[in-house]
Amino acid sequence: MAISRSTYGTRRLAIVLFACLLIALFLLPSQSQRLLQYVGGPLGQVLSLPLAAFSSVDHGIADIWNGYVALQSVHEENRQLHRDIELLKGQNNQLRESVTAVQRYETLLNFKQQSPSQTLAAQVIGRDATNWYRGMILNKGESDGVKTEMGVVTPAGVVGRVVKTNSTSSVVLLVTDPNNAIAGVVQRTRDEGIVEGTSHGRARLKYIPLLSRVQAGDRVVTSGLTGAFPRGLAIGSLIQVEKSEGDLFQSAEIEPEVDLSKLDEVFIITAPYEDADAAQKLLQTIHGDRKKP
Amino acid sequence: MKFLLYLLLALVVVPFQTTLLHYASVFGVRPDLGLVAACLVGFLGGELDGLILGLILGCFQDMLSAGDLWINVVTKGGSGFLAGLAGRHMAHITPAVMTAGLAIISCLSSAVFLYSMNPAGLDEVWLGVRSTVLVQAGLDAALGAGLYLVFRQRWSDDRMVTEGAL
Repeated sequence: MAISRSTYGTRRLAIVLFACLLIALFLLPSQSQRLLQYVGGPLGQVLSLPLAAFSSVDHGIADIWNGYVALQSVHEENRQLHRDIELLKGQNNQLRESVTAVQRYETLLNFKQQSPSQTLAAQVIGRDATNWYRGMILNKGESDGVKTEMGVVTPAGVVGRVVKTNSTSSVVLLVTDPNNAIAGVVQRTRDEGIVEGTSHGRARLKYIPLLSRVQAGDRVVTSGLTGAFPRGLAIGSLIQVEKSEGDLFQSAEIEPEVDLSKLDEVFIITAPYEDADAAQKLLQTIHGDRKKP
Repeated sequence: MKFLLYLLLALVVVPFQTTLLHYASVFGVRPDLGLVAACLVGFLGGELDGLILGLILGCFQDMLSAGDLWINVVTKGGSGFLAGLAGRHMAHITPAVMTAGLAIISCLSSAVFLYSMNPAGLDEVWLGVRSTVLVQAGLDAALGAGLYLVFRQRWSDDRMVTEGAL
């Protein structure tokens, strides 16, 4: 009974204090706020410790949640993004390859349109079956009109000549093979010679006259004297001229114009000159080039 | 079954060699799959099998090579036959013996090629030996020994069955 009375008195006291506070806040707002601020300062300091503790726990939980639990989906998302990147990389590569192929075909088409020869486009489908010959296999054969001794070129220059054919494929002996020989002429001095392959994977211009003034850097083109190639197709550039005492001729090493290790498409020359007009035009072009300084 | 296996080898080996094997070349030299196949078949199946398969593979290789038409026929056929003779007269063939045998046969075969190239002098011969013959012999021997290790168990079983039947 005493407890209940005491409680009742305390409640009344609390209500009265709260009413006084409200009245004070209404009647004396600035003074009451200063008072509250003064009282709240130490209280705030007391509260700061548990606040910091709870805050650190909260941050810890948040970190754990964001760093581990919530990252389950991020991990999955990351994997998906990686897959997307791989897919896009693949598509990008395919597109680049397509662009390269289109550029290559454009070059081939331009060459075919400008070339005075009748040519047949062919793809390189393999390399020589042995290690002893520098040759390549083309996907065109006798059924396409390919015959032995036909020349093979790219827009950059001479590749080689056809040495074997069957109905669906043919074998080309490259210009760098020692068994190959093509009639060539030095573009600047007009000295003629025979271009043969060497054991080192290059070519050599043989039988250059002793009095010739050929020098490194001179370009060598086909002379047109042999049936396989028309006149003026690039073979390569001289990189070293050799003249031995007592020899009747000079010889010079040639760096081939065409990178023979990276060939995909080539042209087989089925007829060196399509017609006489084209041949004449080509000759005029060549002579015109010679007159230029 | 044996006929089908040989037919498969004949149809697959040379196209594989000409199209895809350059990815596995060492210093620009590829193993001669035709030679290895002919020798293995000779070792395991006898000189007649080795000779016939060697002739067929050699013929196919000649068709897809810039060289003369006889070289591969002769060298591959001969290699298969030699391997068959060696296999018949050896009581115990180990991978080391197989490696050495294949290296020797490969060198002999390459010597024929080198001779057919008409080298201008000793310098060119030595260049051919250094750059092609020895490398190819190493590759052929390694490939052949590897394949022999793979098929040895089966071959031993077959041989035991054959000996048992005899």
